[in-house]
Amino acid sequence: MSTSSISKPSIAVHKFSSCDGCQLAILNLGEPLLILSQLVDIKHFAEAGPLDEDAKVDIAIIEGSISTTKDRFRLEKIRANSKYLITIGACATSGGIQALRNMANTDEWIADIYANPSVINSLDNSLPIKDYVKVDLELWGCPISKRQLLIAIRALLFGVLPVEEHDKVCMECKRQQTVCVMVTNNEPCMGPVTRTGCGALCPGVGRDCYGCYGPAENANTHAQANRLKGLGLVNDEIARRYLFFHSSTEPFHQEGQHWKSK
Amino acid sequence: MSTDTIKINVPVLARVEGEGALDLTIENKRITDLELRIYEPPRYFEKFLEGRNYYDVPDIVARICGICPVAYQMSATHAIESIFNVRITPWIRAMRRLFYCGEWLQSHSLHIHLLAAPDFLGFNNVIEMSSTYRNEVKRGLKLQALGNDLISLFGARSVHPVGVKIGGFTKAPDKKNINVLLERIIDAKQDAIDLIHWLDTLDLPVDNQDFTSVALHHDNEYPCNEGRLISSDGLDISIDEFEKYFKEHHADQSTALHCLLQGKPYLVGPLARVNLNSEQLPDQVKQIMQEIKTRFPSKNMFHSIIARAIEIYFVILEAERLLSNYEATSQPRMDVIHKAGTGYGCTEAPRGLLWHRYDIDEKGCITKAIIVPPTSQNQPRIEQDLKESLVNFGLDNTKEKLQLHAEKVIRNYDPCISCATHFLNLNLVRDNVLAHNDQKTLITGFANIDVTKTVIIGIGSPNKNDDNGWRIIDALNNRKIIHTLKKKGLCLYKLDRPGIKLNEIIKPFTSVIIIDAANSNNDEQKLVWIKSGDINTIPSSISSHDIKLPETLKLMHAIKTLPDKTIILGIHGYSESLEKEACNEVEKLLYGN
Repeated sequence: MSTSSISKPSIAVHKFSSCDGCQLAILNLGEPLLILSQLVDIKHFAEAGPLDEDAKVDIAIIEGSISTTKDRFRLEKIRANSKYLITIGACATSGGIQALRNMANTDEWIADIYANPSVINSLDNSLPIKDYVKVDLELWGCPISKRQLLIAIRALLFGVLPVEEHDKVCMECKRQQTVCVMVTNNEPCMGPVTRTGCGALCPGVGRDCYGCYGPAENANTHAQANRLKGLGLVNDEIARRYLFFHSSTEPFHQEGQHWKSK
Repeated sequence: MSTDTIKINVPVLARVEGEGALDLTIENKRITDLELRIYEPPRYFEKFLEGRNYYDVPDIVARICGICPVAYQMSATHAIESIFNVRITPWIRAMRRLFYCGEWLQSHSLHIHLLAAPDFLGFNNVIEMSSTYRNEVKRGLKLQALGNDLISLFGARSVHPVGVKIGGFTKAPDKKNINVLLERIIDAKQDAIDLIHWLDTLDLPVDNQDFTSVALHHDNEYPCNEGRLISSDGLDISIDEFEKYFKEHHADQSTALHCLLQGKPYLVGPLARVNLNSEQLPDQVKQIMQEIKTRFPSKNMFHSIIARAIEIYFVILEAERLLSNYEATSQPRMDVIHKAGTGYGCTEAPRGLLWHRYDIDEKGCITKAIIVPPTSQNQPRIEQDLKESLVNFGLDNTKEKLQLHAEKVIRNYDPCISCATHFLNLNLVRDNVLAHNDQKTLITGFANIDVTKTVIIGIGSPNKNDDNGWRIIDALNNRKIIHTLKKKGLCLYKLDRPGIKLNEIIKPFTSVIIIDAANSNNDEQKLVWIKSGDINTIPSSISSHDIKLPETLKLMHAIKTLPDKTIILGIHGYSESLEKEACNEVEKLLYGN
């Protein structure tokens, strides 16, 4: 491919409420990071150095969820300044683990943790980016993998959308010929309802998947939850399996609440 | 120096994980006020943990920090195992040390090359630096990748690894994979030595200060997963006694909690560890430390970059030892029987001490969790350092130079602000502090209201183009005055297109403020106030809702259920400044009540 005739696409990486782990998918690229920096013009990436928060860019990459009033203004500006907006990771895509607070009384929490609660600027909810602005592409995962990110950027550089992976983790286990941890070891595996993309890492090391890539397409959560019951989990435990890293996605939220209220 | 008010607003402190701002006031060539603020929105991890099963803890706490998930998993695992009286095998102990070596290696390599070195070589970032120092950057990325692969050996991935369970690891690595890594580790030994010598040639500032170092200490090894807590001032306690000596308090300016040792700031991290534990380092490391010009123990925080490189060499040697002695096991994990109790865990995260405490009930669920991350321990020390180092640097320097120097000082501590909190706004005020100009009050006649019978209602819908009323309520909820009034009984509601139900909802109240989006004929952004007496003048276009607010209000006015003290605030357009103005005006209405 010749890129000499066109100018390099520009990229900005923005962080909201998060652990920085998905940005590491970029910082941990190793040598490909140097290649990437030649393919694209990184305008803003605070953790790596380049700073231009208000730059107009082709692709804005967003990590983190919106949890303060100020964040929302920042996000609206980023959307206005970018042609294409990608969310990376559970926090940006579904609200992440901090969305657990959406089911709690945050005023009480703040009062418990902070001596001067009045200065804590915080919304009642931790909501995904798509609840506030249009999102063009979502990369699921807690955290996303380098592979996912490079595939997405490469596809966009070729002017096409990347193929979305929303198969179940089970499919990936079969492809890798990993022995089923639920069938052979009674592990409370979330693989049957969780989207792949991770490479079925957990069953690969002999443990249960805990759903960190979020709900798969057409996930039969009810059947899976009943199976968990059959494995001996009590209702609260089943609820907590669903109310975890993607507690605010509809299928997981509903299934979780169903068992919580039982 | 001029007596003008100078404000420096530097939007982002780059190359720090998290977000921070520095407020600096200089009067008569002295620093009169210095505060490092932390912006990371509160994430409430200690609260998420309450009510969860003990076995979920390693996967939850990993998410506190993407850079040091292993540290969080290790401190938590040790704390919980101490409650359940789990005795781990020497194999598990050794492999946890190897796992942790990987995290130090990747975190230190990342910090040195991507975050700190550009400071001292005059580049804005690593991408610029790589054009001149290509081999050094490649070497750094190689070491970082090796660290990540060591973590993945046990955890299947380096960020939020999945192989850790209470009791041990899910699976013992294959000998084949061990041998591949062993070869790469042996190959990296020379890289680590070269790295130390390269950093030793850097022209680092000389800035010796008096501070207390705190680290874990273990008689037979360099500290990692266990040991006693010691300080350069003679402290020597078990980790269970932490709360007696170390106290966290909430600093007004941030969402982080600050921790003090007997009322005083202290240092944790690589420099503190090398200062206190150099005897425990292997002979090969001691020998390099003799060859270089930098001397330890050191009171110069700028030497922390060398301390990190020394620790890189240490973990490579340690990993070599552990990998060479590796034998597979059929028991990578102990059986665990849960019981109630309180347990403590303290390990050395790359950035310093990470202390956890958990209370667990008889069902195996967490009832209380306390997590003290390294950055909240270092933060008072960073402020203390800045007060001295900026004076040593010279307060007459330009704001740009002060800013850059402050950033270098802060970066020495490698603050992971997402675990305690990337934005450094340097707000510099020189001499005269600005006076706030008062604004005139727009509304009168709302005096003497009973706060306990007052409600502020934001009207909107979950549609993000139609939630301006809700946005104002969110913004109000974050205001100090409103917070105080809420404690006195003030109510704030977000209502979704209430229609005629509004009549029921405001029944208990004698004064009402209703906030809703207003349509306007042009793009002008403004606030419109309508008092209860003028309800009938509201044009029907004031709301875009299907169930109209104006009709409801007019009806309530007619049947006399609308309190006299009712005010409607219509918002044309929306912006940050308009939001602020609306909040200010609402506060003025309530103020004094």
